[in-house]
Amino acid sequence: MAAVSTRSLEELEAQARVLLSVFTNADYETVAPAIIQPADVFLDVVGESLRARTYVFTDPDGAELCLRPDLTVPTCRLHLARYADPGTPARYCYNGAAFRFQPQAADARHPREFRQAGIERFGDRAREEAEAETIAIVIKAIESAGLKDWSIRLGDLGLFSSVLDVAGLSPRWKKRLDDAFLKPLSFREALKTFAVSARSASASVPDALLSSLRRDDRAASEAAVAAYLDEKSIELIGTRALADITAHLIGIAEDREEKPLDAAAVDLIKRYVGVSGPATKAGAIIDKLLNGLGRGSGTALEAYDRRLALLANSGIDLDRVTFSAEFGRTLAYYTGLVFEVHLKAHGPESPIAAGGRYDGLMRAAGAGIDVPAVGAAIHTERLWDAVRGGAQ
Amino acid sequence: MSKLTLAIPSKGRLMEQTTDMFGRAGLVVRKAGHARGYRGEIDGLADVDVVYMSSAEIAEALRAGSIHLGITGEDLIRESISDAETRIRFVQKLGFGFADVVVAVPECWIDVTTVADLEDIAFPFRRRHGRWPRVATKYTNMTRRFFATKGFGDYRIIESAGATEGAPAAGTAELIVDITTTGETLKANGLRILDDGVILKSQANLFASNVAAWTPALENLRGAIADQIAHSIPGSVRSK
Repeated sequence: MAAVSTRSLEELEAQARVLLSVFTNADYETVAPAIIQPADVFLDVVGESLRARTYVFTDPDGAELCLRPDLTVPTCRLHLARYADPGTPARYCYNGAAFRFQPQAADARHPREFRQAGIERFGDRAREEAEAETIAIVIKAIESAGLKDWSIRLGDLGLFSSVLDVAGLSPRWKKRLDDAFLKPLSFREALKTFAVSARSASASVPDALLSSLRRDDRAASEAAVAAYLDEKSIELIGTRALADITAHLIGIAEDREEKPLDAAAVDLIKRYVGVSGPATKAGAIIDKLLNGLGRGSGTALEAYDRRLALLANSGIDLDRVTFSAEFGRTLAYYTGLVFEVHLKAHGPESPIAAGGRYDGLMRAAGAGIDVPAVGAAIHTERLWDAVRGGAQ
Repeated sequence: MSKLTLAIPSKGRLMEQTTDMFGRAGLVVRKAGHARGYRGEIDGLADVDVVYMSSAEIAEALRAGSIHLGITGEDLIRESISDAETRIRFVQKLGFGFADVVVAVPECWIDVTTVADLEDIAFPFRRRHGRWPRVATKYTNMTRRFFATKGFGDYRIIESAGATEGAPAAGTAELIVDITTTGETLKANGLRILDDGVILKSQANLFASNVAAWTPALENLRGAIADQIAHSIPGSVRSK
């Protein structure tokens, strides 16, 4: 819902001032990134799925631009413009409009134009501290605006990686499953397929050709592929070169050598994905699933426990925090912690706030390196709506 | 009473086939005024206004509810209306205007036969060429929806105004999503359809707009027209 009257606009602005004051008191600098952004960065980072919800347009010079669908990427770009070293520690906060097409038609809880108030913290190497503090600041801001009836849902993409480590997978398997995890729709299918063979034998390439390919002899391998294309009178067209095709075929050949995923590993992965419940219990459940092998300094499980302890220290009631192993899988740019703040009355599709860790985002925005990054944004109209509803 | 507006394709093969179909159904459509006009009427159905529009305009008018009934391809409906299931009623499949919307890649991609394979090649491609593989298409919405259901997101769409099938050879895209009837054009351009790459098997339909202004009388009229058309199509049953 865009503000429909002067009065509601004033109330939204007043609420924004409350939120921003919480952020600035925590040492976050207020910034106002540009509303119109180059479409490229967004589309490369978030992929075509968010593009379908992004207002993209072409300016008279032919440049492809967009109305920002969120303020995180614009804040990354602002940081990059400011510092030669993208790893320079910085904390930013903002309050501004974001724009998203709503495929099921816009309504009050899913407006096409909405205001996000949020924080971004770059370059901080104290990972769990930064994460717990981010959550605590968001809760404090929401409470300052007058909302008390919140709950938090946590997810942790780092835990899945450690589950794969414990399952004793080869690096090849690990990579394939790590990739597949982010695609829930195809994940179950992939798991089923991988339990039979490394791939669904989809290549239409004769075995003889595949078994003649060698990673350590690219030139000969490329020549073999070229000869095969020639024999079949297939013309080489397009930008994907013989080298690209050959490299992928070599990967396919290696997949065939790989042993199928063993049943115990499949079972472990399935059981991990099913973990969901109170955050204080999830750590122990996962620990038991992993037979104690996921413990130790620097592990994702240790980070999970540490983060929870830090949250409790900062005054967050852990009884209001749940964990779901599935959560976070569809959000393209998150790399570790993910969280959402919910209201019972609003249901799971309409979180009041959301955030997490996205260490790869700065690279995608052009930094050239990964930069530790944690942030969160509050959907201010939803918050306002909830606060007013609560007051009636 | 207010009139029922029926839109008919104004050019090309779809127009000819629609005219033939109306003939078989015993509905005589006459152009009003001069022969190149864009309005018409049906003999014996005084309450029906016929308008001639391009197939794409018909899809758009159905979406907006500015016409009651229209004949066009399902591909255009699926592409231009994100909530087609609620906005549009599929009244009758017409048995012509067949076209498949498909994902096609260069034939020389012997390592790629499924959408899952596209996912495998996307990242290495980006490492080497500095961008995701590009998909040339005019069906941008259908392409996004289809790849989303397959869990594939690492690509960029290049909107194509025409001659989409030439894009891979021209180097303006790596693969395409386009319509094909016989597959000959794809083959001539060195392209091959992915094994799981058929997005939609489309044909011409009689569509009704749920958001147009309907009255009980107009609904009766719709029923009468639909029945008459249904009887002209061998072995067909009305969809709804």
